[in-house]
Order: sequence, then structure tokens, then C-alpha cells
Amino acid sequence: MKLFMMTLLTFLTSGQAIAHEWTPTYPELFQSYVKGVLQSELTLYNARKDVEYYEIGVFDKDMEPVSFAVSQRIINVEYQRRKKVSVFVRAKDRDRAVYVCSKSKLLKDSGTKALITSNICSKYKR
Amino acid sequence: MLKKVLPVVLMGLMSSAVAAEIPIVGTVESKCVITTDTQGVYGNPTPSKLTTNMSDGGVPPIVRYDVIQADYYKALISHPETFTESPALGDVVNWVGLVEVAEVSDASMSAYDNDKRLYNNVTEIDLTIAGSTWFKVTSTANYGYDKAFPAGQYRATVQAECIAI
Repeated sequence: MKLFMMTLLTFLTSGQAIAHEWTPTYPELFQSYVKGVLQSELTLYNARKDVEYYEIGVFDKDMEPVSFAVSQRIINVEYQRRKKVSVFVRAKDRDRAVYVCSKSKLLKDSGTKALITSNICSKYKR
Repeated sequence: MLKKVLPVVLMGLMSSAVAAEIPIVGTVESKCVITTDTQGVYGNPTPSKLTTNMSDGGVPPIVRYDVIQADYYKALISHPETFTESPALGDVVNWVGLVEVAEVSDASMSAYDNDKRLYNNVTEIDLTIAGSTWFKVTSTANYGYDKAFPAGQYRATVQAECIAI
């Protein structure tokens, strides 16, 4: 009986593979339309059925936060959709900004049994 | 004469339209994809213990890492050290966790288990081989000194990170 329950649980919880993708691996920082501000373009692909929101962050080599601007820090990406994200960093922070990351946000009342948060960090090209 | 030639010309034009080719374009680029293979469930074998161990009625969460190119990323997997949702707990919860390679797409990836670095609740692995690796996370929470967990819903999260090197 116990074995049957375990098999059933495994089957129920592993039915759908759900993935998170953040590209490119090494994005470039290029001059934006604002003087003194650099821009990078990244793409987020959400194949996680249990996640609709992702948080964008820019960090230094020690994973300490670096100031940045983005249209929305927490973005809504529907299931099986891609979203292009423009991330802006001050030119004076060019050397400090090392990683640009997207992290899944789990809703407290989503009703899912999500046990896994995913975080993918790309590294700015030098 | 025209009546005989015209249909032949029209058919020729139609056949060239049917033979049009539709291109499908794709790019394979360096990337890391984190896939939640199995969500994970806590079993409650004794009143004071919650565990994802299969022998205790739990299901360990499994995360799959896909990397297109070797040596571009490292994986950081953190097992839980706190509940994200639980009833009010008046005593200490002692956490134990373990991250292991469960399945591999390339036999040499099994070396990840020996090469992994452990600190705090984090397991760090350099993804030195292109392909897919499945990591199994075992998490156990013991409440106080053999105290019974209060009834209610419990939830904790494993953090799976993929950092470009």
C-alpha cells in the first residue's frame, strides 16, 4: 500500500516538466538613448506552469545588489511565453555590475505545492 | 489553340506556387535551463519529523539542469532551512538536507557528486559537461526534542540557481 501511494504521489507530482530560461549567457552592455546609462537586452522564457512572476536583479561579483532600472522589477510572464527585458545600468557602475538575474516568485496563495524556486544569472560581457 | 494552351500555362503557374518552401529557422545558443522535474512532498513518519525521504512517505524534489555548453555555468542548490508556510511553531526546528545527482545524460556527470562543494545549506557544482543533470534534494525537519508538529499545512522551498561563470 505504501509503495502504491509513493508511486501515485510521484506520478501526480512529476506529470509536467516545468522550466525557466534566461538568455543570453553573456549579455552586452551598450549605450542607451540616455547619456550615462547603459542598456542590456535579455529574454525570459517561462515554461513553469506554477510561476507567473519573475524578479529581475543586478548584482556585483559578491552578489551584492547594484542599482539598475527596468520597466518593472517584478514582471509577469505567462506560461510558455517569452518576454524581452531591457535592463539599464549607470555607466559608472559598468565595472561593478557583474550578474543580471531572473528569479521565480511563488505566490503564497497559489494553491500549488511548489517547493522549488529557480534563479538564473547571466554575466555581463567584459 | 488558345483554349488548349491557357489551362496548361495556368497549371504550370499553380504548381510553382504549391512548391514554395517555408523556412524554419532556429538558433542554438549557450544557456542554462532549470526544470522542476518533481515538485516534492513532505512525509510525516513520526509526529516530530517531516521528511522528503521516500522510505518515510515523502517525495524528494528533483531539479534538472540543462546546459548547452560545458564550463559556462555553475549550479547552486540550497535545501530549506525554514518553512515558508506553517502553523505557529513555539520550538526550534532542526534542518538536515542533502543534494545528490539522481540521473545524468552523460555518464561522466556522476563525478559531480564527488566534486561538489558544500557550505551552509548550499551545494555548489561546476557544470563542466554539456547535457542534462537531475539533482535530488532530500530535506528533513525535526521539531524540538521529539515534539509533535502542530497540525496544519507546511511548505518549504528549495532554491535552484544557475550562475554564469
